[in-house]
Amino acid sequence: MLKRLLFVQGTEIIALLLLAAIPLTVSNSYVLGLLTLLAIYGILLIGLDVTVGYLGQVNLAHAAFLGLGAYAAGLSVSLLGFGMLSALAFSMLVGMTLGGLLAFPALRLEGPQFALATLSFSALSVTILNEWETLTGGAQGLHVSRPIFFGHTVNAQGFYWLCLILLALVWMAMRNLLSSQWGRAFEALRDSPIATDAMGVGTYRHKVAGFALGSALGSLAGGLYAFNFQYLQPQGFTYELMVILLLGVVLGGRKSLWGAFFGASLIALLPNLLSNRFLFLVISAVGLLAALGAGIRGLMKKTTRPFQALAPIVAMCLLVVGGLFVKNTEDWRKAIFALMLFSVVVGLPEGLMGFASRFLTQLFHIDPPALPPASALDKVLPAKTVDGGPLLKLQGLKRYFGGVKAVDGISIMVQSGQIHGLIGPNGSGKSTAVNVISGLYSPTAGTMLLHDRPLPGGMFKVALTGISRTFQNLQLFSELSALDNVMVAMKGVYRSPLPLVLMGLAKGEEKRAQADSLALLELVNLKDDARISAKDLPYGDQRFLEIARALARKPELLILDEPAAGLALPDVIKLVDIIRSIHERGITIILIEHHMDVVSELCDVVTVLDGGRVIAEGSAAEVKRDPKVIEAYLGTENVAVTADVV
Amino acid sequence: MNLLIIAQMAVSGAMMGLVYALIAYGFQLTFSTSKSINFGQGELVMVSAFFSLTLLNWGVPYWLMVPGGLLFGVVLGLAVERAGVRLALEQKSEGWILLTIIIGLLFFSAAENIWGRDDRPFPTPISSDAMRFLGVSITPLEISVAIGVFTVMGAIELFKRKTLLGKAFEAVSADRDAAELMGISATRTVMLSYGLSGMVAAMAGILVSPITTVGPTMASALILKAFSVAVVAGLDSGFGVVVVGIFLGALESLTSFYLGSGWREAPGLILLILALAVRPNGVFGKASIRKV
Repeated sequence: MLKRLLFVQGTEIIALLLLAAIPLTVSNSYVLGLLTLLAIYGILLIGLDVTVGYLGQVNLAHAAFLGLGAYAAGLSVSLLGFGMLSALAFSMLVGMTLGGLLAFPALRLEGPQFALATLSFSALSVTILNEWETLTGGAQGLHVSRPIFFGHTVNAQGFYWLCLILLALVWMAMRNLLSSQWGRAFEALRDSPIATDAMGVGTYRHKVAGFALGSALGSLAGGLYAFNFQYLQPQGFTYELMVILLLGVVLGGRKSLWGAFFGASLIALLPNLLSNRFLFLVISAVGLLAALGAGIRGLMKKTTRPFQALAPIVAMCLLVVGGLFVKNTEDWRKAIFALMLFSVVVGLPEGLMGFASRFLTQLFHIDPPALPPASALDKVLPAKTVDGGPLLKLQGLKRYFGGVKAVDGISIMVQSGQIHGLIGPNGSGKSTAVNVISGLYSPTAGTMLLHDRPLPGGMFKVALTGISRTFQNLQLFSELSALDNVMVAMKGVYRSPLPLVLMGLAKGEEKRAQADSLALLELVNLKDDARISAKDLPYGDQRFLEIARALARKPELLILDEPAAGLALPDVIKLVDIIRSIHERGITIILIEHHMDVVSELCDVVTVLDGGRVIAEGSAAEVKRDPKVIEAYLGTENVAVTADVV
Repeated sequence: MNLLIIAQMAVSGAMMGLVYALIAYGFQLTFSTSKSINFGQGELVMVSAFFSLTLLNWGVPYWLMVPGGLLFGVVLGLAVERAGVRLALEQKSEGWILLTIIIGLLFFSAAENIWGRDDRPFPTPISSDAMRFLGVSITPLEISVAIGVFTVMGAIELFKRKTLLGKAFEAVSADRDAAELMGISATRTVMLSYGLSGMVAAMAGILVSPITTVGPTMASALILKAFSVAVVAGLDSGFGVVVVGIFLGALESLTSFYLGSGWREAPGLILLILALAVRPNGVFGKASIRKV
């Protein structure tokens, strides 16, 4: 624990002090300029990392937000007479507002469409900055004067320190935010937007918030950029800069503050790197060696595909050979970015810092922070007394897909405190029914009442009514740890408002969420795997983890969609035990299952569907004897043969 | 008289719009098989145009240059698929977005250094003397663009419908997994779609170059509008791109006439953001159902 504190926090403080002290010893205006740029790019890339790293979207608008922030700050000084801090706050506000606005339409979009929306936004921004000449001076550019700071003029050194202080503040605030429920929610919606909504976390608000936040930081960096260079041109914020920024984030390492910082130093130094041929050759040779080393190691251990190992080597070879033969490396600037970026994206997707932090953690044996002891399960899931009344009523529920009548008028009554089985052959409409109840599909017709109140539309709203579910095709947050998967869904713990979270004053509720989540992991026998990422768990444990996550919603009604699918027999036995202990806590369960033995063992009532309709209902033993059920599963016997037998 | 100017603007704009439609059609080809598009498609248009110009400068006759240029486009398309798309598709990630952007940047830089940064004229045997129809002037060159666009699109649609390979293409588009089970290699079909898409890009380059001249940045504006057309029309409607392409071409030509040429990119960009906000599947596209 102490070691961790020393290494992690210690390194940050030392780096900050060193950076702050450099101008006192080196009085070179060129070095000072580079350092200022480094601090500005640091803020910029931390902002970009929110969308690219945590939200996992290719964001092509960040350069535009830098530009918009720069113009906003510059114009607020010249037209409105703002001081330094108010101008910077104004540029942040502009970035946040425009980012939020852009995120609203972009919210429904996935990967490529999101990238296109941001690409269009940035091209449009540059067009407007260019054409609105009365305000921005158009292509002629805009001169910006550095405003006063609490009545004082700020010299280059003072401005550097201001940038550095802002970087440190942003750093601390973002570390607090990203290690809180917010950061988990961002990553959750990257891995599975559907489950994020189904767990009541809310894809919508977090995507908009994340994008607005990242854009606000981009625009803050833009304000500093304006006061640093004191001259702005729309051409400075185009596509090429965007590619350089992506290079910084990806090369430095996604989801890492140090990665952003490292990326920032790289792009601040890039012009020098390209103009000095010797330096360039050294760096490209190091890159080639790294690619060779990593590639050969990966191939020997068979952890990478041949393409992943060979492509970076070829790209780096091109870089070295090009460095030897090309007349002027500056001219090939874009190709050099492209080759470097290509090698990193293909060969080292975690980036340099991702790699380094893994390596250093192993080298110094730094343990992750200790977990609190698990809460008592009774505290997390207090046993409810069951009144046995009707909980969920479906009446004439229909869902058609074009001409396909997946669910064709079913009426089911789920009594509270029961385990209600839902069975039927493949394609009988079980999963569709569950998807309609949980809000993924809207019903074509029919009513759904929970406690005699109609269910709202949409997964997120349904999740808030106390219905929780698992998925037939697993929808885990695959890159989050098992513990985080449960924590992100934990209901009723996160209460601190955003400012407290940013200041790091919400650690108490974080501990409580950890303790409560551990209790749920214990329930499904995963407590010892809390730190393992969901994608690395064995298949059966992944199914159990989904159940634990659904329980974190503290549901009144839990829907289990084929929880035994693909499980080995020992796991099926475990599953039955788990479901039974959940049931003992007074939670009503809808169980969709194909394993008849599981169904007979657990269910109080079983509803059988076929062709989107209810064909039988009763106890497991009753429905098993029902001729219509036998017919649905096995088909009718030939009439003539039947006659013979009789 | 004013009406005549509007008609004139609309007609010339519509001809350019057909080029956007052709590039957008190239996006549809790859999107249908692999749900991916080449973000560096503009660079393919530009590099193929430069290559075709080089062929002409070597003395290759125009009508021989065309197949040469198209073949070059196919090769580029295949290169993009191999280097930028296949790995990401195998990993089921969206890494192809970044990788195709990167490869486009590499092509751009190479073109800048090999052919220079200046715009160059692209000779063509087709006349650009205006002819008049009902007071609206139109050049044989513009007509040749329309003919070229419809020929390529028609040929590919015919290929998809009438040949066995084309049917495999349609099968993979409809259901990749089912097609694989029927013994169709999805990987090779995706390759085919990228090859065709590269060919379409080269055709667009050859058609548009005599009008716009050839230079490294010739496609940067073109490609944004092709994106708009593809998104507004929907990434699965070949008929839609033609309609939207003509509409957008006419609209931007009128915009630049009334608001100034600096604003000519604006309608496409705004349309794209609006379409994504209101109809993410496009005006002519089909909504897909989320499955869990």
